[in-house]
Amino acid sequence: MYRLALNMLFGDRAKLAMLLCGLAFSALLMAQQSSVFFGIMSWTYTPMVNIRAQVWVSDPMVEQVNDAKPLRDTDLLRVRSVDGVAWAAPLHTSFVQARMQDGNFKLITLVGIDADTFAGAPAVLSQGRIEDLRLPDTVIVDEWGAALMGRMGVGPDGKPRHTPLQVGDTFEINDIQARIVGICRVKRAFTGGPFVYTTYDRAKGYTLGARRTLSFMLVEPQEGMAPAELCDRIERDTGLKAWTSDTVIWNWGERSLARNTFWWFWTNTGIPFSFGTAVLLGLFVGIAISGQTFYSFVLENLKYFAAIKAMGAGMGVIARMLFAQAFTAGLIGFGLGAGMAQAIGRVMIEKGMPPFVMYPQILWSTFALVLGISFVSAVIGIIKVSRVDAASVFRG
Amino acid sequence: MSPPDPAIAVRASGVDMFFGTPENRVVALKQAAFEARRGELIMLVGPSGCGKTTLLSVIAGTLTPQAGSVEVFGQLLDGLGQEPLTAFRRRNLGFVFQSFNLIPTLTVAENVMVPLLIQGRSIDEARERALALLDRVGLKGREEGRPDALSGGQQQRVAIARALVHEPPLLICDEPTSALDKDTGAQIMQMIRDLSRSPERCVVVVTHDHRIFRFADRIAEMEDGRISRVFDDPKLLDIAHH
Repeated sequence: MYRLALNMLFGDRAKLAMLLCGLAFSALLMAQQSSVFFGIMSWTYTPMVNIRAQVWVSDPMVEQVNDAKPLRDTDLLRVRSVDGVAWAAPLHTSFVQARMQDGNFKLITLVGIDADTFAGAPAVLSQGRIEDLRLPDTVIVDEWGAALMGRMGVGPDGKPRHTPLQVGDTFEINDIQARIVGICRVKRAFTGGPFVYTTYDRAKGYTLGARRTLSFMLVEPQEGMAPAELCDRIERDTGLKAWTSDTVIWNWGERSLARNTFWWFWTNTGIPFSFGTAVLLGLFVGIAISGQTFYSFVLENLKYFAAIKAMGAGMGVIARMLFAQAFTAGLIGFGLGAGMAQAIGRVMIEKGMPPFVMYPQILWSTFALVLGISFVSAVIGIIKVSRVDAASVFRG
Repeated sequence: MSPPDPAIAVRASGVDMFFGTPENRVVALKQAAFEARRGELIMLVGPSGCGKTTLLSVIAGTLTPQAGSVEVFGQLLDGLGQEPLTAFRRRNLGFVFQSFNLIPTLTVAENVMVPLLIQGRSIDEARERALALLDRVGLKGREEGRPDALSGGQQQRVAIARALVHEPPLLICDEPTSALDKDTGAQIMQMIRDLSRSPERCVVVVTHDHRIFRFADRIAEMEDGRISRVFDDPKLLDIAHH
């Protein structure tokens, strides 16, 4: 009977198209909105991705990576003395205003890294060399920031330039010159400012002699030492807070700073509510359109289902037929919707906005929800058919 | 209770059936008694509202009467649960409906296959038997078309093929010619008579189309929810009416 059930479904092209539209739209909305949500949330812990270290150490009051609470420089020595630490390097992060050539200001994320080890340096440089950071007044800017700040640049003729900043271009941070010696490729951040890398000591200068400039410490465990275990030791011996740096959302441990950052934004901003509403809307729209269309499909076929009942088909057979129809429509609708979400995501990734991360779990969840919509639709149809009197077929 | 008579296909006795609330009760059958034999084509006739279709539904096991008993091929239907009753219909009954009830989104062959697939037969077997029967009703070459591409007479031929494809011993026909013109109606009745004729099979036809009375072996006339007269010779009904 499954084949006949499917032929009944595919035979009514108009209803099928409507049904698939509802399911596909629902799948698209749920998958696309979830992917943008996780994309935005992945931006919240961007520093963890761009500044690579196995263990991060911070002030005990730090809750998330964008909210650094300065440490004393002597804390670095205390951390270095903990058994199991291979090395520890200072890291400065702060948001400062950069003055561009046209006089405009731009908020940047200033990252000061250890000039000896370059621990925390960007992994990919598309222009320049990391070693050039040791030259006076030098910085490395990320590609997106170079393009953004290039729009605020001025050409040799004094007119606005529209090309990205290049190696050799300059701007000012707190009235101190910053000369670009490299362009790096890093992930964009939630805060929106370009990443500007410099040395830790120069960062002190750019922040106009703030009393404390040590934001985090980047720590490498000795060989054979698990990062989580080293975190325990650092916390026990120094009273500071130590974090692991795993950024894979589905695998991060309890000590992950990325995880804490994710949940901080989850609980302290309206982002989950906003996107959750959109996902719920997708679910309800799917149930409404698909349920209504499937119900109308069942209504239209009611007398045939009554005839099938009269011929001796039990409700079990009819329920299986309706489930086969609903789940087949769900499967195709999900495929169309998820495919469209992927296509839109591809465009978003190419443009870089808005962030888009489609985890397999998003697809599986969307699939389960679409099947849930199909299930509800089928149950509505089954209830209707179960109430039809087989004797009604004799009433003309 | 007397042992079942093997010659009797259907026996209904003392059947009461009413609809609505006790205050607004509509009596459809009142102590109705009916008997049909194996190998015969019996027609249930009478004016509209006399209870023909209700009696047919009771015989088919799609309606349960408030009183009386119905026995089909020795099987008492009253007291049977919903599931055994459904299984009984699946094995023993074929239906020809007034409005054909062919599923428009299925092909002609698929429509005929339905009773066999309900029985759990394989697609291949169902298809083979459906094609053979469509050949017998003169629809060879139309198997893959849609029912709505056929004329009314052709659609009713498909319905006959569907009703007989699983070789049921009881064929129930509800106004099979009411949607057809005189000549087509006669052809359809001839086909029902020819194809269903078997010493083991009983055909019950509900109709008020007097033009087809001649195809009956016997005619039971209904009035006010009960069988008023049974004519062993169909011609006698015509005489009685004139």
